[in-house]
Amino acid sequence: MTKPTSQYDPRYRLDPVKAPNPGARKRARMAVHHLDETMRRITRRPENIEWFESLLREGPTEDSARPPVGYFCNMIPPELILACGGRPVRLDCGNAALVQTGEEVLSGEICPVAKASFAMFLDPENPVHRCRCLVLPSSCDAKRKLGEVLADYRPTFTMNLPAEQDAGRYLAAAAKELERLADFLSRELGTSPSRRRLMEAIDLTRRRTALVRELDMARADKPGALSVRDFFIMIQSSFTGVDLVRWEKEVGTVLEHTRKYHQPRERLRPRLVLTGAPILWPNFKVLNLVEECGADIVGDTLCTGVQSVWDPVSLDETGYGALLRALAARYIFAAPCPCFVSQGRRVSRVLELAEERRAQGVLHYGLRLCQLFDVETYRLNRVLRQKGIPFLNLRTDYSLEDTEQLRVRLEAFLETVEAS
Amino acid sequence: MITAGIDVGSTTVKVAVMDGKNVRAGLVEPAGPLPARAARDLFTRVLGQAGVAETDLDAAATTGYGRRLVDFGDMVMTEIKACAAGTLFSVPGRTIRTIIDVGGQDTKVIGLATDGDIEEFSMNDKCAAGTGRFLEMLAVKLDMSYPQFVDAALAARDTLLQMNSTCAVFAESEVVGMLARGEKKGDIAAAAHHAIAARIASMVRRVAYPDHCCFVGGGARNQALVKAIEEHLNAQVFVPENPQLVVAVGAAVCASRKLEERRAGECPMPSPARTEAGPP
Repeated sequence: MTKPTSQYDPRYRLDPVKAPNPGARKRARMAVHHLDETMRRITRRPENIEWFESLLREGPTEDSARPPVGYFCNMIPPELILACGGRPVRLDCGNAALVQTGEEVLSGEICPVAKASFAMFLDPENPVHRCRCLVLPSSCDAKRKLGEVLADYRPTFTMNLPAEQDAGRYLAAAAKELERLADFLSRELGTSPSRRRLMEAIDLTRRRTALVRELDMARADKPGALSVRDFFIMIQSSFTGVDLVRWEKEVGTVLEHTRKYHQPRERLRPRLVLTGAPILWPNFKVLNLVEECGADIVGDTLCTGVQSVWDPVSLDETGYGALLRALAARYIFAAPCPCFVSQGRRVSRVLELAEERRAQGVLHYGLRLCQLFDVETYRLNRVLRQKGIPFLNLRTDYSLEDTEQLRVRLEAFLETVEAS
Repeated sequence: MITAGIDVGSTTVKVAVMDGKNVRAGLVEPAGPLPARAARDLFTRVLGQAGVAETDLDAAATTGYGRRLVDFGDMVMTEIKACAAGTLFSVPGRTIRTIIDVGGQDTKVIGLATDGDIEEFSMNDKCAAGTGRFLEMLAVKLDMSYPQFVDAALAARDTLLQMNSTCAVFAESEVVGMLARGEKKGDIAAAAHHAIAARIASMVRRVAYPDHCCFVGGGARNQALVKAIEEHLNAQVFVPENPQLVVAVGAAVCASRKLEERRAGECPMPSPARTEAGPP
């Protein structure tokens, strides 16, 4: 094990800012309640959907045998955390009520995901404090700087990413960085990731991928069988540190429910591919709108949607070093994140999905204050236009005040999609 | 075939009644606190003016911000679709590739393909920046009636005074500063129009074609704004007769087209209902 080095200058460490705020806590509960009420109107929901929802509601649970490890973004391999005896809990937060609280301490000019996620740490009673340690990648500017802030709260590792997804040039360096992450996790959790444990973890996530793929294909065939919102809840609930074997069983039930569904008539709703910024429970504003306006999402490239678990870790060799390289290839070099130099990967995936899923249009969810996704719409819009695929960019944030304006844009888009 | 279009906007309601090729009657009224009731009253009055009994009406379409608040329409559409249809109907024989619609609550720019289909559209974000409301608020701040405000802006078109803000709230404080410096009200009014026009012109360049522009909506009745937009676009802008009624006319046009299609049997299936709450 290499000698521990602090990534952050210890001379300027601060006492963590805590701001007990019962008002914000109540508003956060109301945001969840509001979504529950909206989703109750979905006519066909899986019987066990409440089980998945409860996982999201709970947050990290106490378990001294398998302590929760908080992570951000979809580029941290959860397999490494599992192999070190921890439970990976993704802490990216979608609660609109927490954005303002985050602004009180950070700045207002940071994206809502970073603000809301950080705000959880301000509340001394928030279950995120149960996390033994935290890991995040140096993906966007907000995440790159958040590590040092969070290090005041819990031991935190910022994983360096290459700026280019050029595996030929940077794969070895990325695998080396994962080794550094493994060292950090072993130190904090007291267990080192053996080759065998890593293989077991990879096997678990590969099974998750296989299940989600099956469900996704069944949905693309019959979108009426399962709301995309319920699908997102199921996927995101698998990031809560839940026992994946139990999760698999519950998803199996939904898969059966979906397969059994008989679509009574031909479904005439417009089919859309969704791309863009992460949509995190309970901020389902855009998903609610899409389904309320009568369209179906039949594919996505979201790092919180189907795409987040779509790619399996592919193994050629099974030595420890080879496993780390496989993880880097999967989580870093195949990521659809706009923080990399070229957006080619995401554009190709969007085009592939649009064709394969017979989509009539592409919807882009732009999160206000995320410059990376914003800049990428320049090329995406033009490339899709050249191919004759209608494109709409819905740029918004977590707040609900612009819902009606967004509805007009979306409905007008659907009118043009149907006319063409 | 007689159809009606009801455009329930944030500031005004507009109703138009058409018989196939012509607009028989059309009126604009303030929306007031109860836009649905205002729309109903106006609807009855316009039918009266057109000499049409409600029972003789073949179809009514609702559009605009309050399109779902009205319960007597037969079809609902967005103001973007209605605006495109209405504009093309109002300016026959003219090539239009871009529509600017300045309303009370939002500003839209619609780009049209050569065949008249909607190619792209853009709307201002969730605030009042760049809308009719912005100018109305500044008129109040300058203690002028709206027509006075517009005339003063027209007279001072060549002002060198610059307003930096198009945010309705920040612009007010900017105006306070200008008044304190002793700037003339006319110059301030002209600067406000230029600020908005510059914003609209860049919206046009972003999504559509500066040539072949048509300007509709309540904002198009403001001559100072028309002139300012022409200056910032460096192109002529065409304003149809009665620009505020264009969206309501468009709704009526869409309703009659839909009926024709139905009656011609080209569309035996009802189109998928997109107004139903919640799938699947």
